[in-house]
Formats: sequence, structure tokens, C-alpha cells
Amino acid sequence: MRLGKRLGFILLLSIMLLASPARADGITVSDISRQLICQCGCTMVLLNCSHAECGSREAMTALIKEKISQGQSEEEIIQFFVAQYGERVLAAPPKKGFNLTAWLLPFVALLAGAGVIFVALRKWVRREPLPQTQPALGEEDEEYRKRLEEELKEFIERSFR
Amino acid sequence: MADIGYIALFLALVASIYSAVAYILGGKRRIPQLVASARNSLLAVFGLISLSVILLVYALVTHNFQLEYVVSYTSRDMSLPYLLSALWAGNDGSLLFWGWLLSLFAAVVVLQKREFGQELVPYASAVMMITQAFFLLLLLSVSNPFQKIPFPPADGMGLNPMLENPGMILHPPALLAGYVGFTVPFAFAMAALLTRRLGDEWIIAIRRWTLLAWLFLGIGLIIGAWWAYVELGWGGYWAWDPVENAGLMPWLVATAFLHSVMMQRRRGMLKVWNMVLIILTFSLAIFGTFLTRSGILSSVHTFSESALGPFFLTFIGLSFFSALALLYLRWEDLKSEAELESFISRESTFLLNNLLLVGATFAVFLGTVFPVISEAVRGTEISVGPPFFNQVNGPIFLALILLAGVCALIGWRRASTRNLIRHFLWPLITALILGIALFVLGVRQWLALISFSICGFVLFTILYEWLRGTRARRRMRGENYFKAFWGLIITNRPRYGGYIVHIGVLLVAIGIIGSSLYDVEKEVTLQPGETMAIKDYTLTYEDLDFYETQSKVVVTATISAYNHGEPIGKLMPEKYFHRSYEQPVTEVAIRSTLCEDLYVILVGWDEDATATFKVLVNPLVIWIWIGGGVFVLGGLIAFWPERRASPILRQTKQGRG
Repeated sequence: MRLGKRLGFILLLSIMLLASPARADGITVSDISRQLICQCGCTMVLLNCSHAECGSREAMTALIKEKISQGQSEEEIIQFFVAQYGERVLAAPPKKGFNLTAWLLPFVALLAGAGVIFVALRKWVRREPLPQTQPALGEEDEEYRKRLEEELKEFIERSFR
Repeated sequence: MADIGYIALFLALVASIYSAVAYILGGKRRIPQLVASARNSLLAVFGLISLSVILLVYALVTHNFQLEYVVSYTSRDMSLPYLLSALWAGNDGSLLFWGWLLSLFAAVVVLQKREFGQELVPYASAVMMITQAFFLLLLLSVSNPFQKIPFPPADGMGLNPMLENPGMILHPPALLAGYVGFTVPFAFAMAALLTRRLGDEWIIAIRRWTLLAWLFLGIGLIIGAWWAYVELGWGGYWAWDPVENAGLMPWLVATAFLHSVMMQRRRGMLKVWNMVLIILTFSLAIFGTFLTRSGILSSVHTFSESALGPFFLTFIGLSFFSALALLYLRWEDLKSEAELESFISRESTFLLNNLLLVGATFAVFLGTVFPVISEAVRGTEISVGPPFFNQVNGPIFLALILLAGVCALIGWRRASTRNLIRHFLWPLITALILGIALFVLGVRQWLALISFSICGFVLFTILYEWLRGTRARRRMRGENYFKAFWGLIITNRPRYGGYIVHIGVLLVAIGIIGSSLYDVEKEVTLQPGETMAIKDYTLTYEDLDFYETQSKVVVTATISAYNHGEPIGKLMPEKYFHRSYEQPVTEVAIRSTLCEDLYVILVGWDEDATATFKVLVNPLVIWIWIGGGVFVLGGLIAFWPERRASPILRQTKQGRG
């Protein structure tokens, strides 16, 4: 169970890291404008901005086109915009430095939560599984069972806090 | 007239404060007369706020331009539905509407016949009236909808043309009803804490209220997404905008609550956790109202000088921390009766479900406020947009969906290995076959293959479960399949309503996965007569047309569309230039099929009729709206009152009291 969960999370993390869109060799304008925020103040992703009157949309798109035709790489073009406008031009913060907190904290929190659930479950689950078909209990057994249950309950309640 | 509205609000404030105080005193000292008086006063609050809503609506409909609100959001040429919708078009009006909804819900709560939980009502009503008083205070001080202007103009400024859409009539009321609705469960939770009646009563008393609020919020979100898709003209339905996130967060936490509450009902577990969830839901709902109103995060340039901010933050802070303090004081009384039989049981899937839902909420919250954090810590302005939310929340939501399938296959209490294998076998095989079939059909993105297979798996588990239930019923009662299936659903509405909601969410997920992994877009500039191709479609740009109406100039492009060479009709993307608004409005042309949407935006044009179009093909989008419909259907089935409810309730009360 534990291993399974860990594996699950490793899988999820790798999905997260790999989940960038698949790309053919030639980069297109939309590959890049998908990653940038339009700077006219509409706060939309450049690719999605459809305001005809938005001046910066035209200018930025034209610039990307020009740089692609000059043979610049995706990385270079993105870096150019970051140099021009600062980090806020990126649609998502780059996965490095302080920004990693945003990227990783949700998963750290999930792992921590999974840990808490695991510990809680271990306390809540009875160690000995009760037999599916219970034989008739003698008086002695009954008394013993009651005491055991009370003790177990007490143990659970105490340790839960 | 306007003065009467304002005075009514003032009287409502007095009455709500009196009601809260009288409820608490009357409840504490057990003075029935005082409680009765508090109740009358609560009903009076509803009457008074209704009066001022009626007066404002009357002013809107009769074009009373003495009121600033009427001038700001209406004009003489508006049709009646939009005149009415102007009630929630602006800040002040929508707060009034919020307050009115709360007074309506509070009135229903005190008028509701209930077999038990009656002892909670005075305290719950007091909490609702305190919230009510807060909103009335806002209305009377900083956002008075009855504010007059010295020189009434001949005509008003009209509604923002973006808002002229059927969405305007449905989306804001549904969303607000959701936000407001969460006050009721919160109030009952607080009442339970105050009175130390922490058994099942409060949970039973609020089940349907929570469901209703959650349903409204969900409807509001879906309609909002649809509205954005057809009106905003960027080809998408969800932009992870802070205001959207603010609506999603309470919905996610409430979803967690709806699930974990079952654990408390069945097993007496998670009492503290449920309290935490409901406190969070309420606080996030108020936070959502606040974000929607103030625009503090929505974008850098519209930093609002609205005086609402400090009021809201104070209220959220006060209610959040006093609720937590109260919870801390009652810690002893909330002892969990936790005891589980097995690691692999439906109970543990519910715990994981809560973890993932709250984790997703946390991720959304972190992403929403991270620009502020980054600026404070590093002094660097950054944007946190769709790529972040999609990459972080994508896997979490996918895991949640998978869990919904696993959960349905694992029984309560304990699952034996043999049962597990028997139950999982067919859905797994079917999902595998689906995956292979998709691969053969040409789906090659592994993310799509995994996601669709998971959705298929969950869908099959639900259908499989229905099949088993129907069969059993048929065998036992000798009914035909249809009747047995119907009986199955009708006799256990909460459960099967829940399954239908799951199917709805699955369909939404399928739509989202399809449209975000396989969308194709192209921007082209064409001369009349020229043709462009996108996927299987060929579009021929015919001509550009201009015409005028009373309020706007319209530019229409006519496009003939062909699919595989077959004509599929004309598409007419438009642009509106309203006389009273600077920004032109894009009216997109959409052709929907069950398979994909062809979405055409008119971006711009030149004098020689050369026009630029943005054309998108969005696969499976329509399933988001169909899924929304299924979601509502399932929610209503779960919400519908059960006739045989009372004996079961009494039994549980005796059982756990």
C-alpha cells in the first residue's frame, strides 16, 4: 500500500514534469505565444488574446515571427522577452529558484497529507482481522472481547490526539 | 422611493442585530418568547430587504436616473431581462442581492419543518443574522445602491456589452446563491459547536443545504465557463483567472466536505476535519465574493480603490479565527470514534479523496496568491497563468477521477482480495480495450491515452455497479430491467444521484482533456474569395458587411465552411462597436458537433475587405456542457427529498445521538 502510494506520487510528479506539450522540430509562433502573457494589460496568455485593438499583441507576435525566421531557438526568444519585460511576461514562473516553492509545495503538502493519513489509518485499523464467520461466543470470550475493545478504543482515542 | 429603500436597509440592520442578540440570549436562558421574537425579527429582515430589492428593481425598470446605480448599469434601450439582470451587474446591487439571498435562506431555515435539530436553529439563525448584519453594514456605508446623483441625466450608461448574453441572467445569481448558501451549513456547524450538540443532528440538518449551495456554485461555474467560451472570444472556457479560481476553491472544499460527511454519518469519524472543511468553505466563499467585488488580484492595472477591501478582510479574519477558536474549545467533545477494519476499504479512498481535493484547493490558492508572495519575497513581479495550474492540478484531478472509480469498486469497511479481483477485472479489461482502441484509431499522445483510459475505467465501474444492482433487483423482484433500474435509483437517491454527478464530472473531464490536448489553431489573413484549411475543414471567406443598429455598428464576415469537401453551412463571426463603449465586442461563430467545435474569430480587417481570422478546432468541447447538464441532473436527484426519510433518521439518532 505504502509503496504503491509512493509509486503513484512519483508517477504523478513525472507526469507533471513531462506534461509540456509535444512539439515537432520547427517551432511555431503559437508554441511561444502560449508561454507568454500579453503586455497590454489584459493579463491574458498572448496566444489567447484576441483583442484587435490590443497594440502589444500585434507587436509581440510580429517580434516572435521575426525571431523565428532569424533562426533563433525557443529558449533564446523567451529569454529575449524576459529581458525586455521581466519575469512577469512568462505565463508561468520558471521552475527554478524561489519559484520552485509554488511548483513543489502542493505536492509536498499532498505527500505530507498522505503521510498523516497513513499514520492515522495504521492507528484506526485493527491489527487482527476479525474472522468472517464468528463462532458462538462463550461468556468468557464475550467478557474478554469487551475488555479488549474498550482498551483498544481508549488506545485509539488517546493516541489520536 | 430611494429613501424608503435605504431606510428599509437601515431597519433591516437594526432588526438583524436584535435578532442575533435575542436568539443567543433566548437560546442560552431558554426563554421561548425571546426566541420567538428573534424569529419574527429575522422574518422582518427578509421582508425589509425584499422591499428594498423590489424598490431597486422598480427603479431599474422605470429608468429612475436619479439613482447613480441605475445610471451606471442601465439605459433606455435595454430589454426587460437585462434591465432585471442589472440588479447584479454592479457592486452595490450584487451585494444587495447577496444580502437578500441570505435573508431568504435564513427565513427558509426558520420556517422549515424539522423533526430534530430544532435546538440548533436559534444559534444557527444568530450566526446567519450576524453575517447578514455585516452585509447590511456594507450596503449602508460603502456600497449604497440607493446613492442619488445631483443632476439626473436623460439616459444611463447602459450595461457593459460583454454582459449582454443569456449567461448574465443565469451565471451571477447561480454563483452568488452558491456563495451565500454555504452560510447555512457554516451557521449550523457553529451552532453545533456552541451548544455542544455535536452528534449527527447538524450534519443531517445541513445535508441538503450543502448540496444545494454546492450545486448552485457548480452550475454557476459551468455557465460561467460556457459564457466565457461563447462571448469572450479567445477559444477557451477557463483561464485560471483569480476570480474564476475564487469560485472553484470553495466548490472543491465543499466537494471534500460532501464526501467526508459520509464518513461521519456512517462511522462517526472525522468530526474535527468536517468542522475544518465547513469553516474553510464558508471563508473561501466570502473570500470569493470579496475577490469578485474588489478586483484586488484580477489584474495589475485595475487595483481597486474600493473601500470594501478592509471590511471584507476584517470579516473573513474575524469569522475564520473565531470559528477555529471555538473548534479548539470543543476539541474534547469531538472525540473521534474512529475504528477501521481494513486498509483497503471505501473509508480509506474517502480519506484520499479529501486529501486530493484539499490539495488541489491548496494548489489553486497558492498559484492565485503567488504573484503577491513573489513580489513580497523577491520583489519580482511574476505571472502565474494556465501552464502552472494545468501542470500542477492536471495530475491531481486525474488521480481524483481514478479514485472515484476505485472507490466505487471497494466496499465499505473491508474488501477481500477475492472481491477486489472480481470487481476490478471487468472495468480494468474494458478500460484497457478502450486504450488500445484509441491507440489503433490514431491517438498517440500518451497523456491522452492514459487520461481517456482512466475516464473509461471510471465510467465502466459506475455502469458495472448499476448493472449489478439492476440485476439483483430484477432477480429479487422479478421486474424488467428498465423498472428494476428505475427502482434502484429512486430508492437510494443520494447514492445514485452521486453516481450520476460522477458521470457528469467525467464527461466534463473528457471535454477538457480533448480540447486541451488536441486543440488546433490558425491565424490567417484572407482576401474575399480566398480559402484556408484547418484539419478536415475548408473555409472560404466570402465577404465583409457593415450595418448599423440603434446602439451599435456591426461588422460581419461571411464564411462558407466545408467538412471533407461537404458544405456545412455559413459561419458569420462579427465585431460589435457599441456607441457607449470604447471596447469592441467579439461575437464568435461556433459550429458544434459531438466530435469537435469549429470556432471562428474575426480579429481585424482592412478597408479593401482583407480580413484576419483566428480559427480554432476544439475537440470534444460540447461534452463539457453535456456533462454540466448531467451534473445538475444528478445533483437534483440527490437533493430531492426522500419520503421515507424520518424513520431512518430517528434510528441514527438513537444509534449515535
